[in-house]
Parts: sequence; C-alpha cells; structure tokens
Amino acid sequence: MKFTSLAAGRRRRARVLAAVVSVAAFAALTGCSSSSSTPASTPAVSTAAASAAASTSGAAGQPTGSPLTVADVAPFSGPDAALGPTYLASCYGATAAINAAGGVSGHPLTCKSVDTRGDPADAVPAVNQMFATTSNLALVIGCTSDEAAAVVPIINAHKMAMFCMTGQSEFDSVHFPYFYRLVPPDLEESYAMVAIAQQLHYTKIALAFGNDIGSQTFIQPAIASLKKAGITLTTDQTLDLNATTFRTEAEAIVQSHPDAIMTEALGSADPTLFAEIKQLNGGKMIPIIGTSAAISPPFFKAAAAAVGASTFTAGFRADNLVTETSGPAFQAFSAALLAQQGKVPGATGDFTTYLSAPGGVHLYDGINLAALAMVMSKSTDPSVYGPDMLTIGNGASGATICPSFASCVALLNAGKSIRYEGPGGPTSFDGYHDSTGIFQIDTYSANGAVNVVGNLTAAQLRAVAG
Amino acid sequence: MTIFLASVGFGLVTSSVLAIAAIGFTLQFGVTDVLNLAYGAVMIAGAFLAYLLNSHGVNVWIALVVAVAACAGGSVLLNAGVYAPFQRRGTAPITMVIVSLGMTLIIEFGVQAIAGGTSVSYAMSNGPTVSAGGFTLTAAQFAVIGLSLLVMAGTHVLLRYTKLGKAMRATAANRTLARNCGIRAGRVIAATWAITGALCGLAGVVFAMDAGSFNATSTDLFLVLILAATFLGGPGQAYGAMLGAVIIGLSTEISAAYITPSYKYVIAFAALLIMLGVRPTGLLGKAA
Repeated sequence: MKFTSLAAGRRRRARVLAAVVSVAAFAALTGCSSSSSTPASTPAVSTAAASAAASTSGAAGQPTGSPLTVADVAPFSGPDAALGPTYLASCYGATAAINAAGGVSGHPLTCKSVDTRGDPADAVPAVNQMFATTSNLALVIGCTSDEAAAVVPIINAHKMAMFCMTGQSEFDSVHFPYFYRLVPPDLEESYAMVAIAQQLHYTKIALAFGNDIGSQTFIQPAIASLKKAGITLTTDQTLDLNATTFRTEAEAIVQSHPDAIMTEALGSADPTLFAEIKQLNGGKMIPIIGTSAAISPPFFKAAAAAVGASTFTAGFRADNLVTETSGPAFQAFSAALLAQQGKVPGATGDFTTYLSAPGGVHLYDGINLAALAMVMSKSTDPSVYGPDMLTIGNGASGATICPSFASCVALLNAGKSIRYEGPGGPTSFDGYHDSTGIFQIDTYSANGAVNVVGNLTAAQLRAVAG
Repeated sequence: MTIFLASVGFGLVTSSVLAIAAIGFTLQFGVTDVLNLAYGAVMIAGAFLAYLLNSHGVNVWIALVVAVAACAGGSVLLNAGVYAPFQRRGTAPITMVIVSLGMTLIIEFGVQAIAGGTSVSYAMSNGPTVSAGGFTLTAAQFAVIGLSLLVMAGTHVLLRYTKLGKAMRATAANRTLARNCGIRAGRVIAATWAITGALCGLAGVVFAMDAGSFNATSTDLFLVLILAATFLGGPGQAYGAMLGAVIIGLSTEISAAYITPSYKYVIAFAALLIMLGVRPTGLLGKAA
C-alpha cells in the first residue's frame, strides 16, 4: 500500500529521511540506549535512623555532628540495575546501626546513591559530579566490574577510600592506596563454579555470559578451569544484554546437550535465556550454575517469573563467599538490615535475600571497618583512617574480636585493641588491600529464601585453578 | 537442517512482533509526517501498564486490551500536546526528530522512575509447546504470529476498503489537496495517531511476552529494528513494512544460527545498507 502518490512528495520525503535516518539510528543506539542519558545521581538520602548523638571527641576534618556521606557508586538502571539497591540496602543497614550507636565520633552517616548505569561512559561523569557536589564524602562503596576500571583511578586520585565489588583481576596486582576489596577476583569465582560442577559430577558444561565487562571476565578462567577439571565445554555463548531474545543461543545450548550451564548475564538476559531454554528443551530446564551476583532478590524474582519458581530452583546453584548465618555478628547484621525493609529505594523482592547477597554482607562489613577506623584514628580523612582499616580488619596481636560497630567502638573507647569480625567472617587484607574468604554453595527455595548447601575448600579451588 | 528450521521458526516470531510495530510506525510516519522515535518508549510504557495490571491478577490478554487502548489515547495526546504544536509552527523535520528523541527519554525514564530499573515478567502460561521438523513454538508464540497476521489483514482492509483508510492515503499523499477535497485532515491525523498508538501498545505487550523478561529500556535496540524494517520496505509503505519485518526477523535469526549470534544485527544492517545503496526508496518504494 503506498501513501505518497506524488513524485515530488516522495523526493522531498526521501531527502528528509536520508537526513534523519542517520540521526535516528544514532540516537536509538546511543542517546536512547540503556546507559547514556540519565541524570547521573539521585539526591542524597538520609538513613532512617540517623541519630546525631552528641560526642565530644570531634573528628579531624569535619565539624562535630555534621553528617558524613557514604556514596553507593553502582548501577541503579540498565541491565545490572539490581546491584545498586543491593549495596544501598547494606549501606542503610550499616549506617543506621552506626548512627544508633552514636555515629562516628558524633557524626551521623548518610547514604547517597550515584547511578553509573553500569557503563564507564556514564560512570565517569557521575563520579565527577559526586565529588563536585558532596563536600562531606567519607567513603565510597559499590564500584562494580562494570565501571571499576574507569572510576577507581578517579576515586583514588581524590584520595577517597572505597570498598569495591569488582572481581577484576587487574586489581590483584595494581596498587591503588585507597582501594579495598572484600570479594574475590572473578577468576576465583570461575574456579568455584567449576568446582561446583565437579562436585555435582557434571561432565559437560555450556557457558552463557553477558557481553558486559563484569561478566566477560569469567569466561577465560572458566574455560581453562574446565579443561583442567576434565569437563567438556559444549558451547560458549555470549549474550548481548541489549538483545530481547536469545532463541538462537538457547537452541545452540540445548543442541550441545550440556549437563549444566554456567552463566552470568544480569538484567533481563538470563531470565529470558532460561525461558527460551525451557521452551526448546521440551519444557525441561537445564541445571544452572550462577555466580554470586545471582544471589539477589531481583534476580530471583525475574528468573522465577520467567520459568516458574519451582523449575528455576530445582537445578540452580551459585557460588558465594562464606558468610555467617548465626552468631552475634550475623544477629547484629540481620537486625540492622531487616529494620530497613521497605525503606530502601529500588529494593524489590524478598528482602531477606540481602542477608546472603555478597554486596549486602561485605559492604556492611566495609562500612563498619571504615567507621571504626575513623573512630580509632579520630579522623574522617581516608589518608589518615585508611591504615587503621587494615589494623582493625587483620587485627593486631592480642586484639579483642568484636562483631559489630557498637561492640567494637565500646572496646575502642575503653582503650582496647580490636579486630572486627562481621557477618562476612574474618578479614585478611593483603598488600593490595584484597581480602577474600572461602566459598559456599547456595541454592534458592521456591519462596526465594537462600540456602547454603555446601562449601568449597581452598584445596578444591586449587585443584581446578586453570 | 534442524537448526535452519528452528531458526526460521524463531525468525517468524521475531518478524511477527516486528511487523506489528513496523506497520504502526510506518503508517504514523506516512500520514502524520512525524518520525516518532518515541514509538519504542510508548511500546514499553504499554508493556509496563499491562504488567501493572497483570501483577494485580488481571489476565495478560485482558491487560493487553487495556494497554492497546491506553497507548491509542496516549499517542493522540502525545501528538496533540507535543508534536502538533511544533508542526503548526513550521518546525523543521530534523527538529521534530530531536523533539521525539526528547520524548523518548522522558517516557522511558518516567517509566523507569515509577517501575524501577529491574526486569519484570508477565505471569502467564505460554501454553503447550509444539515441535515439528525443527520448529519449536509455544501456543503463545503462535498467538503472536496470529495477531500479526490479523494486523496485516486489518491494515489491508482499512487502507483499501474503508473511508477512513482512503482519507489516510489521501492525507499522506497531499494534505492540502486532501483538505481542499473536503477531507478533514485534522481528524484523519488524530485517527491515525489513535490507530498507530493502538498498534504500538499491541506491539509493546507482544514484544514483552516474546522477550519473557523486560525492563524500561528493553525496546531501545528494537526501535532500531523497527526503523530498519520500515526503511527496508520503503518508508510510508505498509506492505513494505511487513516485508521488511519478515526479512529483518528471518535474517537476524538465520544468520545467528550459522555464525556467532553477536553478528546477527550486523548481518541485518549490512543487508539494509546494501539495499538502501541500490534502491534508496526501499523495496516497495517507487524510484523518484
């Protein structure tokens, strides 16, 4: 059916189209794409329990009683949008508990979200804006693999301490004085996934990882590790996180007949892939081995909605760092975090899942370590309090172990030497400020609750290290 | 052979979703002279409206009907409140594109601000899976293909046999002449926005059904496919959009079966560029 019967009209329109089609395509690919054009940061949000308890031990660099800000630099939109709220939940929990215990030498802590959209191009201006507009910044958390390579040097140049949730191996050996990490390098997580496959006697594995930086870093270590473990790699599929279907990739996976799929493709990619695999595999789901990033309420919610909760959970495993599930550290963490239920912007799904989410646990510990170091050093300047984080985390000889900010600060005020051991377990920082623990194997119940079903020893990881 | 047939099946589903969207897009552009880049954003707004209803227990097919109606009304308002005032002032086409780009961001991030940045899915059954000779499609996917065929047939009937359709064609050909012939061009344009808005809402919901999981920015890449199908078939050509959708949908899925899927859009757009180089007015557009 043609609409333009006049040749002149067609020529005019063709000229207009020629001009606009390039703009349109460019706009759709860049301006409208998932990560380029949003306001970079959201207004600072005060934690619910911000109490400005008076203190006479004023901290250097900040007026007594003025609030200090913890910035959550992470994706709040785009494919990895689930990460930002996870970290924000830990920030809300930690700062509320710290404020309830009198704050950091009288300074209440607040949380601020800085949306990187999971893209270095958005992250850099967002971080620059954060520094330009946040005069009372005391700590940065987040900085995932999506944006760490771009923003860590900037944050470091501003001499601001950061606890990053990146597993990128470049941070294993490049020293940034203000960079701290309580999560393992991605290659260790790759080994952990292979160790899970080995433990479950899988002999054929398919890989399906997103095309984002954070997911791509798993692939080569995983391939090498699979080879060392004697497990056959059936197919390696890269999922474009902006694509809307993965039927061809799913078909390739199904046709390769793997025992399980190792995957990390956040946003809507993995849930869509799961649904298509189920469809193409005669209604049966192939077992999934996910990374620790899969332990988050939004991921469970999306995956369960895509294939059904019971189908998804039946064959799902994920590696995760060992975290406490009982004891005083866990109780303090649990009470602090669960008190924030319904208060954290963007947090969806079963809030209790955050008790096991890597970001939830380890950033809670990171904020506590920083706050205690500020108290110990009587300074909010990272160049001053930074070294004390190592002292408190690793513990000096004869140090008293304490499980929460309140108990630790009481010991500090009593003149005791302390070692903080939070819900993430003991800390052991190396020369690059990396501290990684051992892994556990997590599953989901059909209601979204996280279960620990096994552990992976260091020997098991070494055995499959590629 | 099996993988080929499977990819043809997938391509038909992709083509069906794309055809619904591309027909609406090309009709809108042909009659109203607005290259509405906010089309994808309106699609996702419709998809989220259906999700909102579905998450409150409304059957997804009923939610689809509501989304279709809402997007029809929304598109009429979008034109009346934004595009028409600019057009009345004689705004240049390139400026209109920028305006529509601005509307894209406003709608998309508005949806994101309300719905959040995470992915959601409809609570729906895909029905039984039918497998035959490499084809593996669910009942829901057959329904999407059926809807697409209905839209194509309906578009043909509308444009060929109805008074409104003929008025739309006349308005598209020459708005001033159409007015002089007694056609109320303003009403025809409003009706076009309503019809194409309805198609946009329909496309949004079936897109979300097909994707299985979606978020506020999921249609960004899909908009480029809509543009590709539209321009491949010939802008303003409804049948061209149908043909373009089939070619783009099949070429992306079939090429993905034989080379790495990362290149499937590269193949589709390389074909588009070659086609435009040889025949700038599109497959069904007449040479100037």
